[in-house]
Amino acid sequence: MDDSSIVGLSANREYAKWAHRETNPGEISGKPEALDDILVLDLSHANFAGLFASSLLAEMGAEVIRVEPPGGDLARKMTPYGIMIGDAGMGYIVEGRNKHHVTLDIAKEEGRKLLLGLARKADVLLHTFKPGYLESLGMGYGDLRESNPGLIFTAIHTYGQFGADSEKGSNQPDYDIVDQARGVIMSVTGEPDLDPAVPDACKKPLKQGNWMGWYAGGAWAAFGIQTAMFHRRKTGKGQFIDASPPEGLMAISNYVMQYFHMSGRQMPRAGNYDYAVFPYTYVKCRDGFTFISGFSDPNWSALCEIMNRPDLRERFPSIRERLTPENQPTIQHEIERFTVRYTSDEIQQMITAYGKKPDKKGTVVTGRLETSGDVLQREHWDVRKTFLRVNDPDYGEVLVQNSTFKSMSRTPGRVKWVCRPIGADNETVYRKHLGLDRQQLKELKENGIV
Amino acid sequence: MGTGKSRPDFTGELFDKGKLFDKPEPLKGVRVLEVCSVVLGPATCDYLAEFGAEVIKFEGRKGDQMRYVTPYAWFWKGMSPGLEIENHNKYWVGMHVGNPKAKALFLELVKKSDVVVDNLTPGRMAEWGLDYRNLREANPKIVQLHVSGYGSWGPWTGRTSYDAVAQSMGALSSITGFEDRGPIKSGVWIADWITGLMCANAILSALNYRERTGEGQFIDYLQVENVIRLLDWTWLYSFKTGEDRKRSGNRDLAICPSDLFDCLDGRVALAAFSEAEFRGLCEAMGRMDLEETYRDPLKRLRDENARELLDRIAVWARGRRVEEVEALGCRHGFAASRVLEAKDVYHSDHFRERGAIQEYEDPLYGTMVQQCYPPVMSETPGRVKWSCRPLGFDNRYVLGKTLGLPEEEVKRLEDEGVVFRWNPDVPSQCPPPGWDGKSGVNIP
Repeated sequence: MDDSSIVGLSANREYAKWAHRETNPGEISGKPEALDDILVLDLSHANFAGLFASSLLAEMGAEVIRVEPPGGDLARKMTPYGIMIGDAGMGYIVEGRNKHHVTLDIAKEEGRKLLLGLARKADVLLHTFKPGYLESLGMGYGDLRESNPGLIFTAIHTYGQFGADSEKGSNQPDYDIVDQARGVIMSVTGEPDLDPAVPDACKKPLKQGNWMGWYAGGAWAAFGIQTAMFHRRKTGKGQFIDASPPEGLMAISNYVMQYFHMSGRQMPRAGNYDYAVFPYTYVKCRDGFTFISGFSDPNWSALCEIMNRPDLRERFPSIRERLTPENQPTIQHEIERFTVRYTSDEIQQMITAYGKKPDKKGTVVTGRLETSGDVLQREHWDVRKTFLRVNDPDYGEVLVQNSTFKSMSRTPGRVKWVCRPIGADNETVYRKHLGLDRQQLKELKENGIV
Repeated sequence: MGTGKSRPDFTGELFDKGKLFDKPEPLKGVRVLEVCSVVLGPATCDYLAEFGAEVIKFEGRKGDQMRYVTPYAWFWKGMSPGLEIENHNKYWVGMHVGNPKAKALFLELVKKSDVVVDNLTPGRMAEWGLDYRNLREANPKIVQLHVSGYGSWGPWTGRTSYDAVAQSMGALSSITGFEDRGPIKSGVWIADWITGLMCANAILSALNYRERTGEGQFIDYLQVENVIRLLDWTWLYSFKTGEDRKRSGNRDLAICPSDLFDCLDGRVALAAFSEAEFRGLCEAMGRMDLEETYRDPLKRLRDENARELLDRIAVWARGRRVEEVEALGCRHGFAASRVLEAKDVYHSDHFRERGAIQEYEDPLYGTMVQQCYPPVMSETPGRVKWSCRPLGFDNRYVLGKTLGLPEEEVKRLEDEGVVFRWNPDVPSQCPPPGWDGKSGVNIP
């Protein structure tokens, strides 16, 4: 790789080269894995919070046994417009990574026996069933910890495993849209309430475009599991983790709770405005949209200078003027009068050039509002191996996002395989962990257990 | 159940919030040095701090930028709510670690620490002689995480990133918004918070590995790449079809039905994808004809089918109250809930009972009510112990307790300007008005 694609725009070329040597994606496969001493049972049911949590552990080297009902988990069918690739949809292929796929009918006695056998050996059991379901099968935490006191039992569900709403809502399944709805962030995301130019029909809560309820919920579950593992390494003790995805969002809902506590008032939906930092917004440009900022007084001065609009600096001299819902639409439209004349690249170049001036007033930041197609073409992501393109024996030519833990110098995260067909690893997993032979497996198959 | 207790009793006892402070903190004994500003870096350390890590936060003369980022330029007891939200249970030192004299003190602290986190421009720590190579020399077991928009190397290293840049460069914004309207950024600094969460996961992996082997390491984490990672099927879809993923409002393009519906008195989020859940919904709607036509989940996902079905549900929901739809969801086994706002959660017994909302008495700011980071853990629950602090509030405590410096030595360092405290002319660096000079002070 040539130097320029490593040092980029770095202020410290030597550091960039060193960092590249330490985290070179070409050397990942020869390095150790952080969590390759733990066994995880993933019983996620139609739920990407559970699947993402176990993906993170699997990227770090954990042995993950992905348990599906015979016929496959419904999550395999959660795919845009119903597009399937073999037996899996597009969501599932992304989160099937590094997992050993087995089938098991835990509603049957024989199936439960096998699961108990696996649970005795597991470090982590992860599930997303309705609260009380596993308990009703005699496989709740109270049951499993008797034979495995070190077990980290993790339950993911919208309403959690206890509390008033849990008792009420425990017959509801966990879905991303409801996790987002109960996570407060959705209540403040969407087109601005206080902008007269926005039609009333658009003034309503809006979810984050991705499965953010599930992905944030899964990341919190993995965080809890790793925290519990750390504790267990010191004490030998397992525990029960109750991971409610809405709590994962409400915990990161900026200052809306604090502001309510302190002032008794709620924040309105701000759209692309921001009542704590502005300008800090998306603006129209000749080829789409771009981000632009100039929040603090010096940075605002810089932005006004780049736009050659000293009048704006005088009209909105301090953050007090720039942070009001009344002024922000005006400021936005004034900035757009400038930006619509240029492409996002031209704006980027102007701002970079300004940043090199010795008498610059401050710093302005920009960044194109990329579509998914744009992102897939960028050299930076190619060089950093952000995506993994493979020709999979079962799923053909596919492209998935790589592990974001891949730039750990000693134990980089990695994707070893993308996904496996339903039940593809029955034989190896049941032999390895329960000593079942071919004949026994054949019988289980005939009885519809696996 | 093996315990002979009913489920609510069993879980109620297991998670009893009354015993919160009797239980151990899982990260107790882990010392983290935070050389961070704004949201992403401080949030990374905040997650660890609420689970017991001892986080020492360093600020320069101006202080963390969030001391000045606050809704409507409004401050509370002199404090910026923008600073409060990602800074709990921390120890606050005013010291610019790039200052040559401060650097020696910092390296002494590194010897006694486990983790160093920075979210500065990549290479900045190296200019100060404080990158991983230097830290490792001081402490071979140290774990260092650097997080920035594009990472420490590559064509775009050195480009500035903010939360909204990461949302736009990672394409989250282009898929968020209504179908026939423009892109919308999240109502919160979501790309900061979730990247911090994944950083905390990376640090925990490194700590788990270190428990096994004694080895530390360097972690380079990329904010924009993190946003990309979280966009589920977006990339595979664009790769296979050659199309951009489009905005679809609250409709889920991969689960049907899953959308937000208008009711008589508000809105309800509703989803029912499995055959059984969908049957339940059709029963609740009294529309078994829909069940017959759209039993197969994959068939429902086809664009024209999805649009028709969602229209039918919308017509039905429009004549119902939110509470009614929620109750039908519970009865018939599909998902249905209103959209919760800050005040709903604030006043909710459910979240308080779970410890997801905690109330505590802060010695500087009085009664606080706020979120505690999840998940809820039976043996080692998280907890909020105190709020954010004035600049340099814990100088004496940290340098005294951790480095054993006598008080006169700390005073000398303060006189020299190597360590410093709040500027009395800048209220959001200062203790609240009327502070007695003692409350909240940690004694070494």
